[in-house]
Amino acid sequence: MRRLRVFGSLVKDSLDTITHGSKRYHLWMALLTFVMLFGMYCYSIQLEHGLSVTGMTDRVSWGLYISNFTFLVGVAAAAVMLVMPTYVLKDIDFKQAVLIGEGLAVAALIMCLAFVVADMGGPSVLWHMIPGIGVFNFPNSMLTWDVLVLNGYLFLNITIPLYILFRHYQGKEANPKVYIPGAILSVFWAVGIHLVTAFLYQGLQARPFWNNALLGPRFLASAFAAGPALIILVLAIIRNFTEFKIQDKTIKKIAMVVTVAAQINLIMLISELFKEFYAPTHHSESAYYLFFGLDGKDALLPWIWTAIPLNVLATVLLTFHKLRNNFKVLFFCCFILFIAIWIEKGFGLIVPGFIPGPYGKIAEYTPTGIEIGVTLGIWALGAFVFTILAKTAIGIELGTLKYKKNEGI
Amino acid sequence: MSNNNKKWFSLNLGRKEKAASGSCSCGKTSGGCGGASNSHHITDEEFDVAAINASIGEERTKDGFEQVFDVKMDRRTAFKKLTASLLIGAGAVSTSCSVISSDENKEKSQIDWEEQFKGNYKLMTDEEKNGTVDRLVRSYQLRTGKTISMSSKNAEEDVLFGYAFNISKCKGYMDCVNACVEENNQDRNSQMQYIRIHEMKDGKGFNFNEADDNYYHEVPAEGHFYMGTQCFHCDNPPCVEVCPVQATWREDDGLVVVDYDWCVGCRYCMAACPYDGRRFNWSKPEVPEAEINHNQHYLGNRMRKKGVMEKCTFCVQRSRAGKNPACVEACPTGARIFGNLLDPDSTIRWVLENKKVFRLKEDLGTEPKFWYFMD
Amino acid sequence: MKSNINMMGKIVCFSFFLLAFFSCKHHENEYHSITDKIEAESKNYHGTSISSEAYIGEIETIEITEGEHTFLIPERKSQIKSYACTECHSKPLEKMQRKAIKKAHWDIKMDHANANTMNCVTCHNPDHMDDLKSLTGNTIDFNTSYNLCNQCHTKQFEDWKGGAHGKRIGGWAPPRASMTCVNCHNPHKPHFESRWPARFNTQKVKERE
Repeated sequence: MRRLRVFGSLVKDSLDTITHGSKRYHLWMALLTFVMLFGMYCYSIQLEHGLSVTGMTDRVSWGLYISNFTFLVGVAAAAVMLVMPTYVLKDIDFKQAVLIGEGLAVAALIMCLAFVVADMGGPSVLWHMIPGIGVFNFPNSMLTWDVLVLNGYLFLNITIPLYILFRHYQGKEANPKVYIPGAILSVFWAVGIHLVTAFLYQGLQARPFWNNALLGPRFLASAFAAGPALIILVLAIIRNFTEFKIQDKTIKKIAMVVTVAAQINLIMLISELFKEFYAPTHHSESAYYLFFGLDGKDALLPWIWTAIPLNVLATVLLTFHKLRNNFKVLFFCCFILFIAIWIEKGFGLIVPGFIPGPYGKIAEYTPTGIEIGVTLGIWALGAFVFTILAKTAIGIELGTLKYKKNEGI
Repeated sequence: MSNNNKKWFSLNLGRKEKAASGSCSCGKTSGGCGGASNSHHITDEEFDVAAINASIGEERTKDGFEQVFDVKMDRRTAFKKLTASLLIGAGAVSTSCSVISSDENKEKSQIDWEEQFKGNYKLMTDEEKNGTVDRLVRSYQLRTGKTISMSSKNAEEDVLFGYAFNISKCKGYMDCVNACVEENNQDRNSQMQYIRIHEMKDGKGFNFNEADDNYYHEVPAEGHFYMGTQCFHCDNPPCVEVCPVQATWREDDGLVVVDYDWCVGCRYCMAACPYDGRRFNWSKPEVPEAEINHNQHYLGNRMRKKGVMEKCTFCVQRSRAGKNPACVEACPTGARIFGNLLDPDSTIRWVLENKKVFRLKEDLGTEPKFWYFMD
Repeated sequence: MKSNINMMGKIVCFSFFLLAFFSCKHHENEYHSITDKIEAESKNYHGTSISSEAYIGEIETIEITEGEHTFLIPERKSQIKSYACTECHSKPLEKMQRKAIKKAHWDIKMDHANANTMNCVTCHNPDHMDDLKSLTGNTIDFNTSYNLCNQCHTKQFEDWKGGAHGKRIGGWAPPRASMTCVNCHNPHKPHFESRWPARFNTQKVKERE
């Protein structure tokens, strides 16, 4: 009963916090709301006319939505890179960053689910997928695995920070015996969500571009580069705009994580390119399409040739300690690395998987305005959710949000 | 549909099982309870749309059956609709008193409810299968006034369907494609076709990359041969494995089918199919009323909705009745052979045992039941 | 603390193992390939209740047995417009062909092998028009005209008997009724004409632009 009251007060206080802020904060939230509304409008058009308003066809049947979904699963999984040292190894450095990281994971997961729903042809019958009510093709379909692990991960990433914040809100210390098992589980789980998502593609013998053993590990490496890179950027912003203190040491440690992951990712990329182009087979056609174009069809060239140099540049810059420790260079590197991996693992992975088609036919894919609108809307939703979560968390951690015992409901 | 022993969740929102006689509270059996039923009859059609919209939301009205609303109107119906929309305000008041809405409308929305929350066809008992088929037939009748016949015939024992394609006989006329589209009520707007005929150059092997599957010149073209592809009804189908809701499965007679009402439209099966055998309804499929094939099967050529997968079913409505699929029947050169693989005396078995047969992408382990051979 | 981590790690590993174990595909089909399956399952084939008899419809058929195959083919004589031939061909052919112009069968133009190999009397018996004749002069009934074709087209005949050549009447199910040679091929001009395809998909062109 008392707990409920405290919780109610927490909700009330956080509502209070998120509705108050500087002018800039309000402007930011208004902008996000506007983009979200625009996305919803686009989605309503899609509902009305069907997926034919997107650029997808029978040939390329997954596009921008699934690309973003794949990428964001990686971002969500990357929160683990901060969770493990903090909770388990008692590395105090990461402690402030980790709540932000988990908030980011929650936002990314919500975006993932939103992208999946946006991609569905029949969102009104999605209840068919709910275990128990519908028919859940487990364990045969990797998609059902994905549904399980994503929702499980979402649950973990909501409950752990919630517990800690809930304790801090009351001015108490969180009990490690409660959250450490959860934290360790989420470490395994994070690897799990990303591997399962990779297996979603890897398990399709119909698509040789995806059907290779390196896909899973490469997913992990790129996720552990792009995710923490985003966290660094977010931390930098938070440091600038709030009183939340994040030490340089923390950012430097995360930068180290980004660097190693980016290096591994680059090695895997080279290995993949070697396999595709040293002894090209019939199965290398998708890679040829991606990097050089096939039969004069070359829609992806500008994308991939933006991504590769950015990726290499960022990795090289990050490798030098001096450059990495210069925050201006670091933020720049993180930004371009994030963009590079977004392209590489979104567009650069999903679309060429379908090109050429099973019978060698090439139909190119370009997203339509409506598709882009929905995508932007979902990104805005993610940013919105994250802002709310971060603002509350920062408030509690700074002690401005505190439970007052005599305040009833 | 029996209410006991359901294997899935179904929403029963306080609606009682409708009595067959269908009388409403006032006791009359038809024509609505109000006195001035004539003037309201005009609004019935419009009410129906509004009622469905209100009760189950936008999504429901846009399914394959909605094409019946797109039937070209003559002037009379157009006028009726116009009047109806003017009267709708007045009408809405009377429906809310629930005295006016006719038995037909009640029945329609009742059917729509039950259809929205029915289970997966694969797991239905025969009774339930008949139930949903009856509802669909009735619903079509209520909306268009036309009768269709829809079958829910199950797979027969000792039947396993197989198909053989003679690449030295096919001349590329594409009569099969036309027959297929007409038989299976495929969307005319997107020109969906299950069958592709690939025109290949002699001496280049099976080079699909250089083949053209959308030629338009006199055929057979000099120095070319023709090879048809469609769903191969794999015995180990990857599409079935990956479906998250088991909306597609392999029937006991080997047909790989889709329950259009259970499909959520994730298109994972499409990505998993190595043979380009699956098609998606990117927008609402439309077939002119006059061209609709009224001889239907639940798993086959019944009307589809937007946002669901569909595919070749070897014309389940025909093959389970003993006929050949439409493509086989239409082929003027006899390049297509269909039959029961388990019958040792069947022609398909003779082909498999006496001709040099091969299949596409055999290395994938999908075990297609579609063989190619040459004279 | 350390042991706690170890414990957790073990539990997680174990559950992963269990999950992997139970999710391994349990193959219900014990056959190595589809051909094995067909062979095994057709061993105790009992026949089905499905029949295509109804779809043969109005077509009058006759049963033939060739080698180990017994099946129906359409009856032919009733389908020939001016059968019996002897209604006109009352005299031997030479006596009827007196002038240079043709008075009947003017629409028939032979396009079947070359003139060295075949002419009218290779198949038709000028002395008795109601029947066909084999190369050696034996009588062949119009209803079983495939016996005439199979003198040269032995390979096609083998395929036809088995079912690899030609088309079925009705459906796939027993009883087997197959079209005979002349149902698809005009014996005077047996090849298929070239023509335009029945359809052109403009949507596909757009898609691949």
